[in-house]
Amino acid sequence: MEQQLDFLVDKVVAELQKKLGEVSEQAPSPKTETGLIQLRSEPKAEPVANATAAPTPAPVVNEQPAPSKEPERTTHVPNPKYKEGLDELLSSTPARIGVWRTGVRPLTKTMLELRRDHAAAVDAVYGEVSQAVLDQFSLFTVETQYDNTENYLKRPDMGRILTEEGVRMLQERCQKKPQVQIVVSDGLSAAAVDANLKDVLPSLMDSLKSYGLTCGTPFFIKGGRVASMDHVGEILEPEVLVLLIGERPGLVTAHSMSAYMCYRPRKGMVESERTVISNIHRQGTSPVEAGAHIGTILSKMLEQKASGVKLVL
Amino acid sequence: MDEQWIQSVGIDVGTSTTKMIVSRLRLGRMSSTFSLPRYQIVERQLLYASEVHSTPLIGFDEIDADGIGAILAAEYDKAQISLSQIKSGAVIITGETASKKNAQHIVHLLAERSGDFVVATAGADLEGVLAGKGAGAEKRSQAMQGVIVNVDIGGGTANAAYFQRGRAIATVTFHVGGRLIRLSPQGVVQYVSPNIQQWLTAKGLRIPVGQEIGFAQLTEVAEQLGRSMLDYLTGKERQVSGLLVVGPHLRDAIPVDELTVSGGVGLLMSGPPVRNIADASRYGDFGPLLGYVLQQEREKGTYPVQWLDPDQTVRATVIGAGMQSTEISGSTVHIKPELLPIKNIPILKLELTEEQLADATRLRQEVASIYQLGERLFEKTTGIPFALAISGIGYCSYALLQTLSQELSEQYRATFPESQTMVVICETDMAKALGQALALRCKGAPEIICIDQVRVEYGDYIDLGEPISGTIIPVVVKTLAFDERP
Repeated sequence: MEQQLDFLVDKVVAELQKKLGEVSEQAPSPKTETGLIQLRSEPKAEPVANATAAPTPAPVVNEQPAPSKEPERTTHVPNPKYKEGLDELLSSTPARIGVWRTGVRPLTKTMLELRRDHAAAVDAVYGEVSQAVLDQFSLFTVETQYDNTENYLKRPDMGRILTEEGVRMLQERCQKKPQVQIVVSDGLSAAAVDANLKDVLPSLMDSLKSYGLTCGTPFFIKGGRVASMDHVGEILEPEVLVLLIGERPGLVTAHSMSAYMCYRPRKGMVESERTVISNIHRQGTSPVEAGAHIGTILSKMLEQKASGVKLVL
Repeated sequence: MDEQWIQSVGIDVGTSTTKMIVSRLRLGRMSSTFSLPRYQIVERQLLYASEVHSTPLIGFDEIDADGIGAILAAEYDKAQISLSQIKSGAVIITGETASKKNAQHIVHLLAERSGDFVVATAGADLEGVLAGKGAGAEKRSQAMQGVIVNVDIGGGTANAAYFQRGRAIATVTFHVGGRLIRLSPQGVVQYVSPNIQQWLTAKGLRIPVGQEIGFAQLTEVAEQLGRSMLDYLTGKERQVSGLLVVGPHLRDAIPVDELTVSGGVGLLMSGPPVRNIADASRYGDFGPLLGYVLQQEREKGTYPVQWLDPDQTVRATVIGAGMQSTEISGSTVHIKPELLPIKNIPILKLELTEEQLADATRLRQEVASIYQLGERLFEKTTGIPFALAISGIGYCSYALLQTLSQELSEQYRATFPESQTMVVICETDMAKALGQALALRCKGAPEIICIDQVRVEYGDYIDLGEPISGTIIPVVVKTLAFDERP
């Protein structure tokens, strides 16, 4: 899984280097910048394109992301003394190790990779969740009082409170006092929702079905923070609530999602009362497996009437 | 629950000796509280090691079940352990004993009498691997470049296992052992195993049965035997030495960097010098001499390998069986606790490529053909005909999960309608999701057991123990052969 993505990364970088070469041959500087941006957004755009292409739950098996050649993440160390050992270390971590150097600086390739990943992280924060993904699961959107992304970053408190319009929508459209309430939010990474929702959510639904749990009306919160679940709890009074929210992007991935779960969410809850499964993405916690496990946790919360540190798993 | 101990027993019934150990294994949570639970065996402690008993035999080719039962009962008593405390472990019948006529029966009998989830095994390959683990060769291989081979020399056979970077890469077994030639205290040859006759002839050596043998002559045989084995192991010569090999040969030469010798003969290597026939025959066979000549080879350093002292000698196999045979499955799994434990399930391996996964029609064909193979190989049963091990799935999306579970369940129900339980083993962490998807489709007919993160190969057998704390499943994979894979 990791290797596949790394293979993709290498491919993109190779492509990028090739294109840069081509571009500089054809025309001088300005086009270089656009070439870079297009390439950078390529992997991100892919799931969106797929979701729009197949809105019906047809056999969508052909969404394999990478070409099927043997993916390999290689070191840039020239003539390593113990190549197998180095490869083993590489496969044990997604961290940037074995990158070699030129003088006291990283190689250009390493720098490009780093800047690309950083850019992807920034894009994830400023991006928006694709409407097609939300439509696929019939999620309607409510907003918090975040106003705009700049403000969202500066004022976490405003991301915890829904707008009056939002509150009204929940009251009109959602089932009250459900056993399980599912909420999705972009949080700090819209890309995480785009990338993982289509795997996590249906697997979670299946799990609820297996446990015989009933679920209220799921919806999407734009500009949400983790504690927005408290406000939702006040309005809908579910027994348990799970919030699938995009995580603060890092340099390993910008597509990581968390599931925060809570028994009887309400205002004034402390963080220790929340249970979380984090790092849900392709290279981390498997999305389908996470979805299935969230169902187990929710059923245990209902059984024990507790969440967070009080929950015995 | 952050950690837990389970007790595990190992019993080794060999050609000349029988021993037993009790160990405890610590299961620790390896993942943070923010991730899916993941447990591993983080520590293995030896609690009790029995004395080395002579293996009780009735006549020449029958194992004395009651005799072994009595030894074990006494040892369990001494170790102050009751059967109900034993959660895992293995009984292994090793060496030539495994071909004794009631071996199969004994091993199952012992497994039943030794605790809830004690596995019955036999097979030279597994024995070699377990001995290698017990002798510390597996651990050593993780700390070095290149290959280490451990050869466990017992009474009837010598089992060699090659390790590289913590994995067993090959095994080979020889007719080399202390009891192949038996002697009276005066040096009269009482028995020569027919298994080495061909090799003796090829080497131009003769051993007169029923007559006295000279010390020099016996030393010559022991030296030649030891060297032939070392020749084969290091790849120096394989024509004549190959006559000693039991079962499949090594497929290709494996360059060896380090060597350890365990087993009874391994212990005898550090014994006192053997200078005359009385020294040699002190156990009624030529074992002490074999150990002594190997020690001299080590000192001479003729072979281009680094000889190391093993962690264990005579108890290497039993320690491997007791302490190293158990693994733990991934902790997010789909099981029905009342269906466990299950034992001796053969593995059927479904290896998928990305092209097959991307194409529903090809996936269907693959599943169909593997089920046909399963139908041919295994008898129809209302239980579990086989465990389907799925590999090759990199990233599993929900859509792929649906297609896969659809194909697997629908065809399983059509091909094996009488089977009441379906067992699936995934390589990657996806067992709970797949198990759930299968169960939603099958609705109890068949029941689904789906575990993951256990590496199995075609030809393996697997045992699944009762869950510990709900979802931690002890697993014993019995690798029966390395060289018979297609």
